[in-house]
Formats: sequence, C-alpha cells, structure tokens
Amino acid sequence: MNKSGALNGIRVIDLSTSVSGAWCARMLADFGADVALFEGPDGHPARHLAPFDDAGVSVIAEYVLTNRRSAIVDIEQPSGLDAMRLAAGRADVLVCSMLPGDMKSLGLDFTSLRGANPKLIVCSITPHGSTGARSEHPGNDLTTAALSGWASINGLADRPPLKPGGLQASYCAGTMAYGSIVSALLARRKQDPMPGQFIDISELEVMASTFAPALLNSQYQGEPQARKAKIDMSTGPVPVRDGHFALTISRPHFWRDAMNVLGLDDLAEDPRWATSWYRREHADEYVDRAQAKLADWNKMDLFDTLAALRVIAGPVLETNELADNVHLRARNFFRSPDTGGPEYPGPAFKMGETPAQLVRRAPRPGEHSGRVLREFAGLEDSVIDALLASGAAR
Amino acid sequence: MTGPRFGPLHGYRGIVLTQAWAGSYATQILGMLGAEIIQVEFHGRPDSWRGAYDRPIPDTVRDAPGASANQHTWNVNPNYNSVNLNKQCITLNLTHPDGVEIFKRLVPLADFVVENFAPRVIGNLGIDYDALRQIKPDIILCSLSAFGNNGPWRDVPGIGGTIEPISGMSALLGYEDGPPLNSGQMYPDAAAGLNGFAGIVTALMHREMTGEGQYIDLSMQEASLAFIGDAMLEERMTGNVRVRLGNRHMTFAPHGIYAAADGNWLALAAETEAQWAALSGIAGHEEWLRDARFGVNEARKANEDALDVEIGAWVAGEERDSLAEQLSQAGVMAAAVLDAHEVAADKALRDRGFIVEVEHPEAGVHPQSGVPVRFSDTRAKVERHAPLQGQHTQEVLERFLGVEEVEYQDLLKRGVTGAGPSN
Repeated sequence: MNKSGALNGIRVIDLSTSVSGAWCARMLADFGADVALFEGPDGHPARHLAPFDDAGVSVIAEYVLTNRRSAIVDIEQPSGLDAMRLAAGRADVLVCSMLPGDMKSLGLDFTSLRGANPKLIVCSITPHGSTGARSEHPGNDLTTAALSGWASINGLADRPPLKPGGLQASYCAGTMAYGSIVSALLARRKQDPMPGQFIDISELEVMASTFAPALLNSQYQGEPQARKAKIDMSTGPVPVRDGHFALTISRPHFWRDAMNVLGLDDLAEDPRWATSWYRREHADEYVDRAQAKLADWNKMDLFDTLAALRVIAGPVLETNELADNVHLRARNFFRSPDTGGPEYPGPAFKMGETPAQLVRRAPRPGEHSGRVLREFAGLEDSVIDALLASGAAR
Repeated sequence: MTGPRFGPLHGYRGIVLTQAWAGSYATQILGMLGAEIIQVEFHGRPDSWRGAYDRPIPDTVRDAPGASANQHTWNVNPNYNSVNLNKQCITLNLTHPDGVEIFKRLVPLADFVVENFAPRVIGNLGIDYDALRQIKPDIILCSLSAFGNNGPWRDVPGIGGTIEPISGMSALLGYEDGPPLNSGQMYPDAAAGLNGFAGIVTALMHREMTGEGQYIDLSMQEASLAFIGDAMLEERMTGNVRVRLGNRHMTFAPHGIYAAADGNWLALAAETEAQWAALSGIAGHEEWLRDARFGVNEARKANEDALDVEIGAWVAGEERDSLAEQLSQAGVMAAAVLDAHEVAADKALRDRGFIVEVEHPEAGVHPQSGVPVRFSDTRAKVERHAPLQGQHTQEVLERFLGVEEVEYQDLLKRGVTGAGPSN
C-alpha cells in the first residue's frame, strides 16, 4: 500500500481483537507493510467503542484501524479458520491478541503455525502475557494501571488511585510490539532460510517497564512512592486566570528566570533555591507566593513570556486548543488520509526517508473480503464464493 | 570488537548521547534486545538523571544489601539506574575540541546515534545530522526533543512535566470533579522512549533494504499527542472536547477503582454481560441483574453513579487479593492496585522473568523492571547493571580507538574525560 515504506513487501495478518494489537498493526501499515485485518462477523471490537460520530462510526476504530484492508472471516467456522490458516501460511507476520487458551483451542498455537510457515513471526499481545499465573485472566487499561503500579502514584493521597488518561497501556504495548516485530524481521533477514519466531507481549509488563523509575526510586527510598497529598506548582498544573499551568522547574536558570518573570526577585537571586532538592525540602516557603502570582497570568501569555527566555513551561491544553496550535500546524502534524477523511493527529515521530504514511481511513468491515482472500490466502474465486455463500466470510 | 551475543538486534551498535528518561529508555530497550549501546555522557554537564552532585544520599541506599561503602551521588540515583541497563558509559567533554574529535572517531563504528539535547545543541557541538553524515554516510540519527526540530517552538525546552500538559495528556488525567493532573512520574518520557525505539528499528530496516541512513525527528509533544490520538481525532470528527473521566470508561460500566478492606484498593470492570453476570454472582447481588438500572451495559452506563455506590459498598468489606483472584478466575476484569514495592515483589512478574534482581556495584542489590517482551528464539535479557559514570571510558577508547594508558591519563588530566565534578 505504501511505495516508499521501510516495511515494503512485508505481509501482515491483523487478527487482533484489542486496541493494542490494532495499534501495532497500524504502525506496521504506516511504515509500508501490506496489512489485512481479519475481523469476525461482529467486526473488530474497537468498532464498538465510544465515542461515535454522527454516522455511528467509532472514533477509536477510525484511529487504530487505518491503512489496511478488511476481510470478515469467521474463524469459529471450520472453513473460515482454514482460510485464515492458509493466509498465515503465506504471511510474514501475524498479530493476535486472544488469550493463549483461546488461541490453542482454535489450533492457532505457535508450534502449529510455525509448522505450516517456518518464516512466520507471530506476535501475541495480551493483558498479562502468554504464560504465567495471570495469562488467562482478562484485563484492560484499568487493570493494567492497577497491577503495573501506575494507579498507586497517580491522583491524590486522600482519593482513589487513578489510571492514566485514555488507553495508555494499549498504545504503549502496541508500540513495543511494533518495535519487537521489526527487530525480529531484522534478525530473520540474517539467516537462511529465514526463521520466524514467537513474540510474547504483556501489556502489564510494558506498563511496568514505563514505571521503572518509580519502582527503583521506591526501593532506594525504602518506601513505596505514594500519591501526592496535594497538587502544587512543584508537582503539577496549578490554576492561572484562564485554566491551569505547570511550572515544574528543573535547571537553575529556569528557576531564576521564572521567579523574575513572576516578580519574586528575592527567590530568583538567592542561590540556595537553585537546586531542586533544596526547593523540594522548602516548598512551603515559596509555593503559595509563586502560585498567587501565577493566578494573575493567562496561560499562553505566560508560556510565550517564559518560552522567549527558554524556560520550560506547560500550559494545560485541551484538544480543541491543540487543533489550533501554531506550532503543531507549522509542523504539519495534522493531516487527512490521502484518500480523504478527517484530520488525524500524528505520526508519533518523523522519519526523513521513510515517513509514516496515512493512505486511507479505517475500512468498512469486510470491505475487501474477496481481494484479501485471493491475495493473502491464495484462494480461487470459486472457493471464495463458497465461503461468502456459507457465511464463513462476508 | 564483539558486542552482546543475544537478542534480535545483536550485531548493531549505537553510540548514543541520551540522557534523562526518554532517550535513555529508548536506547535501554535497544540494549535489552541485544544492540551494543555505548552511552556518551557529557563530562562537565552530566546526565540530569544522575542528580545534583551535592544531593544527600538516603540511609536506605547506604545500607542496601551489597552496597558499596564508597558511594557517589551520581552513581546511586535510582532514576538513572532504572533506565540505563545493558549500557556502557563513557564520558567526553564535548565543549573540548578533543572530546568532539573522539566522538567523531567513534561515529563510523556506530549503526545509529541517538540524542535528546535541545535541538540547537548538536549543531553548536558540530555533530548534527549533516556533520555525522560526512563521517558515516549511512548513519541513522534519532533526535528526541520537547517540540521537534522545526517550528516556532523548536527552541523552547521541555521536560515530561511540561509536555504532559502541553500535549493534552494532563487535561485527560484526573478525577471527574477535579482539575487536570500530571502523572505520578513524567509519563510523556516513557511514551516518547517507546516511540524512539520503534523509529530506530524502522530506520535499521530501511538501511538493510537500501543502504541508506536517515534522520528521525521525535517531538515529545507529538509522541504524547499520538498516544491520546483518539481524543484528538474525536475533536476533529465530532467537535467534542473530551473531559476527565477519572477511572471510568467511555463505553463500559462498571469500570473503576474501589476501596477494599484494610486500606487497599481494587480495580474492576465488566466489558460484557457475561462478566457482569459473573460479577453480580460473586458479589451475592443477583438482584442487580434484574434491576432496570443495571440490567444491561447501556443502563449501567446511564446510572453509573448509583452503580458505583452499590459496588463500592460491596467491595469495601472484601479482602483485595482474594476478591481480585476470584473475579479474575471467573473471567471478570479485576486487579489489585499494587504499590511500587508490591510490583517489585509480585510473584507472577518474577516468575515470567520481568522483575529481576540487579546487582549494582555501588547501590547494591535491588529488584528492577526488566525486559518488556519475550522472544522465543532470539532472547532479550538484562545483562548489565546501569553503568557507573565513565565506567567504560578507558576500555571503550582502547577497544575501538586503540587509545593506550598514557594517552588516556592525558585525556583525564586535561579534562577531556573523567567522572564526578569536573573541577
């Protein structure tokens, strides 16, 4: 689909049933792989996630299912499963997110898939990984936030722990899975015949990996990092005239310049305040004064003033403000798919020679069933017609 | 000149200038997958995650099992030590012409270079992409910065704590009735780091196919925004500005974190009617299934406040771990809210080899988060503790550049390399 992609020529079966798996497959497609989504008769589960647009289309599905073709194939029916297996026999990569027991009961365990296609890379992305005590437990972004430690440090001490906003475990795990698949493709190229392998991604472990600093801090401190008792400018966004603003200062000159901007010359010039550990231990001596000054500013005026001095500063922006953001617009961060559709954000990073492509928005379920079964599974038209007639494909 | 002999990326080498979290995390993952990572730390301007040199060291670190009696603040910072596993560290003073010269002699030995200075810095040092390409035409350079390498905010500095609000993430994190929050530890760095890893392996793939290197421009603001991209696309598709949802889900109810007995917390959710039926049964509240407010997901979502009161009253008397296990066994989404010590001690995470005990020569033995992926054939692993500052300078310069003892001592004496405060 993508002529200048780094993954040109790589054929991927997206058998995912989760946002994490779909995000992994989206990245593979963005960088040039030919990705076919095999979705069940009810459609990919992301299609049923709110919010929806006026036409009833899931925004999340529109975001994570782009750049690929869709076939409806019912792998609960033997002929549908056979067609999927034929496609797996001819693919480079298979992305799946079923719990390991479900994979095995469909006969889709790695050993049997590899038997039919020794070069196949199978990437399983599940809440807790494909082995271990929790492998058959269901999970989602909430439970992953709980078990990874993140919920225990997000939010306030006198209120419940908080999950991260949105679908963070899904995007993190999907991205880790993408990088792992490309790594396996790199390793595969170096051997002849090319060997595939099984990649086991646990959403929990990816989130616990992003929790690594807090985990080791807690070990060194001798007690687990706790949620904050209150939010002040040393720990997060605080009120300004038209919203909230984070002035989480790190380097000494940031402190000096910011305090001067706020008109707190005594705090700016006293060298003791230059180090972050001193400020942390004496927060009650400056926080109220500085926050009283902050409350008089509009967030973008303060940002612009501090930015001119090259001081870090963080106005809290909402999605409508980001859509109009002068910097993101200058960098062409928003773009519509080549074949039309709404403005999408992204990509997450810009590659000079092989930029991520956004060719098409998410396919309708089964939009390409015939072509996918022909090109991926190698089926004759008569066989495809029989599958469609039986309802094993649509 | 052999590097690691494990993992899908063995045989690749990065000479990297990464620091703090995002860049260091990206290159740590590459190292865990078998790439050889030589981290070049700026002598005289140390990695901010090594902390201030005059920072007090807590007694708990002094007394840790296996801890050295001779600890240096910069070697016992948990931030640094948590995101620099599997690396070798050399120090070079990059404001000294000889420091830059040594760096440039190392570049031809690298497949990729990664840095997360402010964008103008590598140009000032004379080692931007064009300069590196002169030295090695197929080099891959990945730059991670706050706002990317062009645009009006290019030179505005940023850290996770300011990128979180300015990327839209903070506006989505918080209680439904409360203000926007930052995460407990600057999460945008982690999101950027994972994407840095993804970008570098993509560039390696392109180089294998074509022989071409390339430049990767990673803006932390954009990487973070991509990870709330569905909320951003929602605004573009529907005009709706998403608000904070606490622990709730846009589609499913129940979906929350509830107080259990003994001050513990339990997360639970039902995404299917089967899960809801199983949950109601375990709760001993089958009447919920017949309650018009709770019978189907749509009704539960519409009556979520009342639902949360009912579930909260039930969970309050339950023991966290046994209820989480019972619900999970029944196919309901449920999990204990673990604190950092409980994560480190978690048996399932240890059994899978994710949490590993790492012995560090100064800080002693501590559990750490390990490799977030399992490969069946090309195993990834934790092989090295985070390096001491400059631990590998002499060895690396000798191995790669043939620098001998006398010359190394001269570099030390002239401040081209060294450890600790530079004066």
